[in-house]
Amino acid sequence: MTVLVVEDEIIMLKTIELRLKKDGYNIIVSEDGRDALKKIEELNLDLIITDIMMPFASGLEIIGAAKNKVGKKIPVIVLSAMGQENVVLEAFQLGADDYITKPFSPNELSMRVKRYVPQGV
Amino acid sequence: MNNFQFINVFYIYLLLPVLLFVIILSLTIYKKRIERRTKLWQESIAVLISESIFFTEGEEPEDINDNYSNLINLPAYRQCLINEILKIRKSLSGISTVNLKEVYEALHLDEDSHKKLKSSKWHIKAKGIQELAIMEQVKYVKKIFKLTNNPNELVRSEAQCALVNFYGFPGLRFLNVTVYPISQLQQIQLLNVLYLVKAENFDPVKKWLNSTNKSVVAFALKLAKFYNCFEVYDDVVKCLQAPNSHIKLNALEYLKNMPREDTPHQVVATYSYENKEYKLAILEALQIIGTDENISFLQGRLQDNDDDIKAAAAKALSKLHPQGAAYLLTQSFADLNPWKKIFLQISNERAA
Repeated sequence: MTVLVVEDEIIMLKTIELRLKKDGYNIIVSEDGRDALKKIEELNLDLIITDIMMPFASGLEIIGAAKNKVGKKIPVIVLSAMGQENVVLEAFQLGADDYITKPFSPNELSMRVKRYVPQGV
Repeated sequence: MNNFQFINVFYIYLLLPVLLFVIILSLTIYKKRIERRTKLWQESIAVLISESIFFTEGEEPEDINDNYSNLINLPAYRQCLINEILKIRKSLSGISTVNLKEVYEALHLDEDSHKKLKSSKWHIKAKGIQELAIMEQVKYVKKIFKLTNNPNELVRSEAQCALVNFYGFPGLRFLNVTVYPISQLQQIQLLNVLYLVKAENFDPVKKWLNSTNKSVVAFALKLAKFYNCFEVYDDVVKCLQAPNSHIKLNALEYLKNMPREDTPHQVVATYSYENKEYKLAILEALQIIGTDENISFLQGRLQDNDDDIKAAAAKALSKLHPQGAAYLLTQSFADLNPWKKIFLQISNERAA
């Protein structure tokens, strides 16, 4: 099971990557929106976890790309900061499947991921 | 100008741009190098910290010291570590934050933050307090408490927020001793930190309402409203007699929120001695807490020479008078402009 994590803060990216690797997922990371859009196009992904505020392409564009991919609608979990309620609503309108507000527990994220993709190993 | 002088001036004009170019180039290279180094450090720190957050049994976080012994003694690297730990701390919750705190302490980064409190530069001091507060380093509370009375406003502000961060409502005990004013912004920041905090003992609020520091009284009134403190009602009513209009307006806000049967009477009793801003606030409060007994008072205000007072009284009357907004049309000046338009607008607002 392959999960794409899109987050511009390296430390956050690494933390999510390591936590989900423990669950046995194959993790692909992106530090910016443009790179993420390319990976959505090229790779066969099972889930995307994306931050909203991203350089080059926002989380909303990533949701759009994930939902418009020919042949497969990839589930998307949105990471948002407190006070971004309006953006979260917009994300749901675009087809986001779930969201988690920072600060969050990595274990909670792990549980939410399991709702969309069965455990990796 | 002779030839020799001309050549000198020519060389100076030629050399200056070259020199400037060399300086800009060196600075750019230096900046790029620092950026590259920081990026590399951030990547290594990201690995270090994320591994430490999810370390498995048997691997203690202390091992970090051995693995990163070359870098860990560099002050710039240690600061980068602190910055990254704070960044991730703000984004995480749950058990991983406990591990993160252990990493911060195991690397003695708390001592680095603590050293900043002794700096003569205010911004370094403030940063040190912020770091210790985010990482919940309660052991430094005595030193932070002293800084709540620091002459620098931002240092004070960080120290006050840190105490509330550590202890919640009881952390506000600095209000007993603070001699400097608490700015409006700081009051909002403190209320934000208190937002999810429960408080049980409101005795200190009573004490703060009688403080000699006017900003403490104003903030105590905000706290009383924030926590719906019924216990301090009588003390708040006394604040209506305070010479400071800011205190009176805050008292009025509390009373608007938690009125008793005699509240409108107590509020109206202070009306005649007040300035226009407070008079308008009283009339606005009566729209919410006023009763039939205030109608005659408001009718009197409808004859006031000041148009703003007149309009505020009209608004309150439209809510309290049995005839509602229609009562306003019985006034002798109801057909004259601007009152015709104002009354029509009040009437429309009431209908909406």
